[in-house]
Amino acid sequence: MIFQSIRWRLQLWHGLLLLVVLTGFGITAWRVARDSYWRQTDAELQETLDRLLRPPVPGRPHPFPPLLEPPPPPGEISEQALNGFRAMLMLNMRSSNVKNGYLVLWRADGSVAAQTGSTPREVPRPRDSIRQASATGRARGEYREFYRFLPFGDVLLVGRSVAPELAALDTVKLWLLAAGVTIWLLGLAGGWWLTTRALHTVDVISETAEKIAAGDLSRRIEVANTDSELDRLANVLNATFARLEHAFEQQAQFTADASHELRTPIAVVLTQTQSALARERSAAEYREALEACARAAQRMRKLVESLLQLARLDAEEEPARREPVDLSFVAGECLEFVRPMAELRGISIDADLQRAQCFGDPEQLSQVATNLLANAVQFNREAGVIHVSTFAENGTAQLIVSDTGNGIPPEDLRRVFDRFYRVDKSRSRASGRSGLGLAICKSIVEAHSGTIVAASSDGAGATFTVSLPALQEGGKRVHTSGGTHTLGSGV
Amino acid sequence: MRVLVVEDEPDLRGSIARALRDDQYAVDEAGDGEEGLYKAESAAYDAIVLDIMLPGLDGFQLLERLRRTRKTPVLMLTARDSVKDRVRGLDSGADDYLVKPFDLDELLARLRALIRRAANRATSSIDIGAIRIDTAARVVTRAGEPIALTAREYTLVEFLALHAGSVVSRADLYEHLFDENDNTLSNLLDVHVSNVRRKLGERLITTRRGHGYCMEIPE
Repeated sequence: MIFQSIRWRLQLWHGLLLLVVLTGFGITAWRVARDSYWRQTDAELQETLDRLLRPPVPGRPHPFPPLLEPPPPPGEISEQALNGFRAMLMLNMRSSNVKNGYLVLWRADGSVAAQTGSTPREVPRPRDSIRQASATGRARGEYREFYRFLPFGDVLLVGRSVAPELAALDTVKLWLLAAGVTIWLLGLAGGWWLTTRALHTVDVISETAEKIAAGDLSRRIEVANTDSELDRLANVLNATFARLEHAFEQQAQFTADASHELRTPIAVVLTQTQSALARERSAAEYREALEACARAAQRMRKLVESLLQLARLDAEEEPARREPVDLSFVAGECLEFVRPMAELRGISIDADLQRAQCFGDPEQLSQVATNLLANAVQFNREAGVIHVSTFAENGTAQLIVSDTGNGIPPEDLRRVFDRFYRVDKSRSRASGRSGLGLAICKSIVEAHSGTIVAASSDGAGATFTVSLPALQEGGKRVHTSGGTHTLGSGV
Repeated sequence: MRVLVVEDEPDLRGSIARALRDDQYAVDEAGDGEEGLYKAESAAYDAIVLDIMLPGLDGFQLLERLRRTRKTPVLMLTARDSVKDRVRGLDSGADDYLVKPFDLDELLARLRALIRRAANRATSSIDIGAIRIDTAARVVTRAGEPIALTAREYTLVEFLALHAGSVVSRADLYEHLFDENDNTLSNLLDVHVSNVRRKLGERLITTRRGHGYCMEIPE
């Protein structure tokens, strides 16, 4: 619907407002013009009326003073005197140069005593009910008239046709209308231009957003560096798009990495089976091929499990299980699990496990410990040492695992927790590690509102520190049906 | 034909090598970049199968260094299939590109094509007079009649046919027909050559004293 577009609605309102204003203005202007015409005409008529009653010869006394001033003269006024007066009026009228003017004089009985030749037909006599001594004006069609009741009963009326004025007013009306319509149209055009200009940014924004929606996440809205409302909106949108793109890229990278990791074991299975099946083989060769396939399948299983776990950790805000866990106990258990691997390489384990109570999922926390310990064994040198310690400090429960291996180069330190990131690509791949172990550790620890940090001085081994909010003695954590809340567990 | 397989995943390397050996290639293997480069530079391979993700020296670096000395055809293997990676692979000097996971048949066909192109042959069969060598089916026929050859004899004929008209030294022949673990005595070559002469005709392969052998192109 066209009137749901902002542009059209703005235009509609703008047009209506402009129309109202212009109409109001036009009507006022026309009225002012008309009133000024009428005032002029009325003044002229009144002046004429006054002049008619003034002495015909300036400076001399009026020949009929008693006929003009109330009260009415006592007794009958002679018809002769009246006729003289009337004749004088006619004379005065003729000598006045009122254009298109006329004069009518009625007797007290209503009959016309005198009138000028240019008088229109049937000029009604003013009614006695509005009889008053002063001059009164009236408008009658295309005539304007002024009349006065004379003390002895006659009514004197002076009028004139205002047809030229009416015609002039019609012209004024026409001009006003033309000017109004022109201004209105100009206003509409101006409004359209203004709206277009104002909405241009909106168009740009929606166009860009459309392209981004279509998949081109690298696009941004061009922002003129003003502080207008729309530019601010564009800036906010750009920031949102940037975050979106980053998240999307991360996801795409993760998917690409995951599929990349799956490709090699799949290639093993494919080529092993294809080459084994190409011809008759000895039992030993079949066994070899099957073993290779089994290794590849195990690798894929590990990878898929890790991916699934990461996806679950990503989806969940908090671990499903929450119970008091002692990190020293968890670390001790995991230590026994990795000890055989360590002994195989002559690595000794130095454990200092003190009570460190926290709150969480014991299985997930033990996975963190196992991962860190297994890494410590794997990346250690032959006959190296692993230091493990747990303790409570400043309201945190800490687990620290360090090894005496080659350490992590500084440029890799920040990225070791990235998914599929491997410091030493060859060793980890050959040992069938997915590059997800530390990423899973990080996800688990963060789900427990903790932190995990890697530190390494090159060549002197790596240290991983896991720090979780401690469970205070006496259980200051409150378990509610909605979840868990930590009271005073801050550092 | 002698091929080097450079791949760090042992199971994948093993299956590729086995398939190549089944097709009578002499196959050498390398498990990392350094070893791969050393072998690639020290022997005359007909083709190299090269993985990109390698410990030590990755496939791109290996290729770049190798190209300074040798023009050996290289088939790159990779798990990365983005256009960017493929372009980079081809630009850094690879002759062909195969994305994991792949079918062995495709790998073998691409290798044959690489070797053929390196010898300036456009098709998979080579005609020397009445003799036709079908390198895809690995069959030699004379006037349409198939000739029974052992695997070694076939590779000998194929190698000489690919270089028909030019002299191939005994050392070259030896290098291209046997892999690094093969301790066959070099006079075995003479035995193979005489067997081939018996089966295909005495005048097909001539001996240039002190130089080597040559498969003559009939006028």
